[in-house]
Amino acid sequence: MENFQMLMQGFEVLFTFQNIGATIFGAILGLIVGAMPGIGSLAGVALLLPLTFRFNPTTAIIMLGALYYANMYGGAFSSILLGIPGDGPAVMTLMDGYPMATKRNRPGQALLTSNISSFIGGTIGMLILTFMGPALAEIGLKFGPAEMTALLLVAMTSIGWLVGENPTKGLLLTMFGILLASMGMDTLSGSPRYDFGSIYLLGGIPFTPFVIGMVGFSQVIKLMGERHKENKVVVNKLTIKGSMITGHDFKRMLMPALRSGFLGTFVGVLPGAGATTAAFMGYAAQKSFKSEEPLGSGAIEGIAACEAANNGAAAGAFAPLLALGIPGSGTGAVLLGGLMMWGLNPGPLLFTNSPDFAWGLIASLFLANLITLMIAWGVIPFLIKILSVPTKLMIPIITVVCIVGSYSTSNSMYGVLIMFISGMLGYVLTKCEYQTAPALLAFVLAPLLESNMRKAFIISQGSLGIFFEKPISLVFMILLLSIMLFPIVRPVLVRLGLLKKKVK
Amino acid sequence: MSTENPQVRKFGTKQFIIIALAVMSIAFIWLGFTKYGFWDEFKGPRPGFFPVIISIGMLVASVLALVFSFKESAPSWPKENWLVPLSVVAIMLATFIIGLLPSIAIYIVVWLRWLEKCTWKTTVVVFLIIMAIVVGAFVLWLGVPFPKGLIYNALFY
Repeated sequence: MENFQMLMQGFEVLFTFQNIGATIFGAILGLIVGAMPGIGSLAGVALLLPLTFRFNPTTAIIMLGALYYANMYGGAFSSILLGIPGDGPAVMTLMDGYPMATKRNRPGQALLTSNISSFIGGTIGMLILTFMGPALAEIGLKFGPAEMTALLLVAMTSIGWLVGENPTKGLLLTMFGILLASMGMDTLSGSPRYDFGSIYLLGGIPFTPFVIGMVGFSQVIKLMGERHKENKVVVNKLTIKGSMITGHDFKRMLMPALRSGFLGTFVGVLPGAGATTAAFMGYAAQKSFKSEEPLGSGAIEGIAACEAANNGAAAGAFAPLLALGIPGSGTGAVLLGGLMMWGLNPGPLLFTNSPDFAWGLIASLFLANLITLMIAWGVIPFLIKILSVPTKLMIPIITVVCIVGSYSTSNSMYGVLIMFISGMLGYVLTKCEYQTAPALLAFVLAPLLESNMRKAFIISQGSLGIFFEKPISLVFMILLLSIMLFPIVRPVLVRLGLLKKKVK
Repeated sequence: MSTENPQVRKFGTKQFIIIALAVMSIAFIWLGFTKYGFWDEFKGPRPGFFPVIISIGMLVASVLALVFSFKESAPSWPKENWLVPLSVVAIMLATFIIGLLPSIAIYIVVWLRWLEKCTWKTTVVVFLIIMAIVVGAFVLWLGVPFPKGLIYNALFY
């Protein structure tokens, strides 16, 4: 009951003209960014980070939260109407969304199914977040430096492990992100380190230009190769009336959406798993249940299962982010970086020290969910125009936003230079099949990891035993060692016939 | 169509990246031990402690990644993709002379009209949209003082 009272207080914080405006603005932008293939929530949130500097921290993160959340809705649009997923989580929506739009000639119904099941999954995720967030924070309060170090190491390595196909590359980039973050000033002793004599590097690598470059600018370079591809929308005209679903359709969608909403939320809570994994798992779980039409042939159940799961995961991911200060994905890392820039420290004390912010943000997710559903419904007739914007026009727009956004963070061309270098690096790394999300997550979490690790070693006077003495840290350390040693042990297990060889 | 070249077991960009990361980790280990300090008997971990540990991990991961990298296909590097970074370099250089906003304005027109062969109508519409975002959001709303360049400073200061 107490949580509901706090949530109501959160709504009181939320209901200001500025906050509601920010939620609506974030939701609209999230839908547009999500709908356009190739941009994705990570780049969207990174590009918009500078625009939030004028807001107070609560309004700023409310807008980014709404944008991230609406992105999950938008990603499905291009999957259904173009057969091209707008982002990772929408890959599974394509399996049934596109056939439902083309073979069954029901594009409007496919879109509405996606919207409603996203709403159901998201609502379940937010309700669980309302209870789980403070509970997780209470557990987090019992964590000492050793437990936090072990947990952070697991979070960092697991995202490197789960994102992309090669865990070694994920681990490599995780450590690269940590080393970049350690440049500048040593936060504990206050002495400079790894600044290579540069006064610019003394302040460390600035977060916003680094993120804009790594995910936004690198994406524009990649888009160059796709700029002559034409987006062929499967229908000429869509209307709201023609998109209505029947009572029978709703019945078919309800149970898969409810099931996947719960499943997705719990997947979203795990560090590194994220919305894409949730969508895959939601779809896979639906295969165990009865569907009126076979999955993959344009079944409503298929769309409902993956869309509810990815929205549940998007909401669930806020629980570890707020309660433990540990993001579950690259986008979560950018949100966490934003929070830190605004002087907020997500973690076990957030719900106690900044309840207005924590509950205001959770309340804003509820509002964003409702507003996004209405806007997503309302934009159905305009989707064809939005999706028809040629990539070649998007390239100069995003490039300019990258430049002015990076400049505005430091009012110096140094920001633009960092954006440029990290963008080139991001592009080269992506082409070499590295995922940049682990580096971003590590970059954000590195200071927290370092301070906890050093405190743990001061307490133990240099003994590693501190990580294995207490049960919580022991469990995390076993998990960590399993994750780190798996790439080495895997070939041996395959050779012994205990594990199947990976088939691409 | 795949953009990958099946050039297996050759030294290429993938190997270069891994070696660069390994060199970075060696430099961080060296500086950590020699310049910033690793451990103090009384004070405990020094500023170099954490980066050195991570660097050692990165060095080990680099060796593993290098071994596996020779089994991977080499990426292709379409030349046209480099036009985007080139244009940003041009904007950065032009900014020192004519300022950031005029550089961006020229970039948009050149890019759309001459590179993308867009019609004047499309060029003007996109130009107006981008300038509305830049001037409206960044100049008027956020109050960002964009650099005005040498020419402006010479004329007005």
